[in-house]
Amino acid sequence: MPPGNDNHELFENLRLELRRGSLILAVLVMLRAEHYGYTLRKALADHGMPIDEGTLYPLLRRLETQGLLVSEWREEDKRNKRFYRLSSEGKAILKPLLAEWQGINTSLNGIL
Amino acid sequence: MEILDSYLRAVKRYLPRAQSSDIIKELSDDLRSQVEDQEAAAGRPLSDKEIAAFLRQHGDPMTVARRYRQDSPSLTIGWELIGPELFPMYLIMLSVNLVITVACVAIVFLIMHAPLTLNVFVFPILIQIVVLTLVFVGLNLVRRKYPQPWYYPPAEISPMIPIPRGYSVAGLILWGPVLLWWLALPHFPSLILGSAAAHLKLAPTWHTFYVPLLLVLLASIAQRLISLFRPDWTWLVPFVRLLINAAGALVLYVLVFKSHTLVVVADAFQCSGQYDKLADSVNGTLLWGVLGPWLWIWAGISVPIYAWYCLPHVRRLLRGKAAGTSSAVSTETGKRS
Repeated sequence: MPPGNDNHELFENLRLELRRGSLILAVLVMLRAEHYGYTLRKALADHGMPIDEGTLYPLLRRLETQGLLVSEWREEDKRNKRFYRLSSEGKAILKPLLAEWQGINTSLNGIL
Repeated sequence: MEILDSYLRAVKRYLPRAQSSDIIKELSDDLRSQVEDQEAAAGRPLSDKEIAAFLRQHGDPMTVARRYRQDSPSLTIGWELIGPELFPMYLIMLSVNLVITVACVAIVFLIMHAPLTLNVFVFPILIQIVVLTLVFVGLNLVRRKYPQPWYYPPAEISPMIPIPRGYSVAGLILWGPVLLWWLALPHFPSLILGSAAAHLKLAPTWHTFYVPLLLVLLASIAQRLISLFRPDWTWLVPFVRLLINAAGALVLYVLVFKSHTLVVVADAFQCSGQYDKLADSVNGTLLWGVLGPWLWIWAGISVPIYAWYCLPHVRRLLRGKAAGTSSAVSTETGKRS
């Protein structure tokens, strides 16, 4: 049932909260292969996870600060682009993180 | 894509300095890629208007920058009072205000030979803090409620935003009556002198300033009228305002600081001498109250602000001329070869 007007804001907050964690996981998974911001955004959108640039770039910065990603500036198509990929630490964390997510998914499906 | 560069410059202003270049490079690539995708879909380059519409949809520069400033300092007591994008500006304004306040209080007390204790600073400082904080809390509320207010765009992107008609109408409503009042003054001195008009008259000095100030008012009204019908002439506002504020500042400077007599006792009462004090007091009120330094300071502050808003237009004009010259040169070279 679609949320009523009164509950719209509440629904929106809960939806964003639900998406936040999934987005981090989606970004980490996508960055097993190297991407720059725009292609990453397009790839996520193609997989049904659209994300605006104002959310993605701060998230990438945060993940890089946490040591999960590495980035480098390179020229491509006559433009400087920042390419991101998973760091070795990121790769190490992604495995248990995916297992955790699959566990949650299975449990949730069981509850539903 | 000059518009895009201007937009990015405007976003950069609100970003944390240490990361701004990095963020802008990345944002620039993202936006350019989006524009290129749209151009590929349309099969032609996007016009300036289309790029402006795309950027408008993308968000006003302060809102865009805010997304990158989530962890930056802000004033939050339970809920956000001053957001991270306004907070640095708040701190700068507060510091400047407090320094000026402390200096003014100190100078006044030194001139009065009064004892300069810590207590004399407390009240003025508190007033400054409370007033400025309330102003910024208000600004913050407006920004949150209307997340894309392009009413006062930064100078860099102002050339691409048509002047809102409501803005021109509001100016006409405000300045129209002032112009009528000014026009009526020579015929009805009581409009400025009140009941004192029975015993006083406007001095010859008044007439020296009357026409220049009338021209300033007329230019201001004319600009608003033109902007009402040609909101796309975005250059008109900063250039006309720069001129009228510079002229206004000059005229008011001479009026306030070089002239001392705007009204004199009317001929019929000149011999008695009993209205000399009244004339002095009205002159003081006019010079330091009605037309006084406040208007002059306002005009003086407006001059550099409008000069700043003129810069992107001048830059565009120069670039246009340079492009014209280079294309003319290349045509000429092509003909010769």
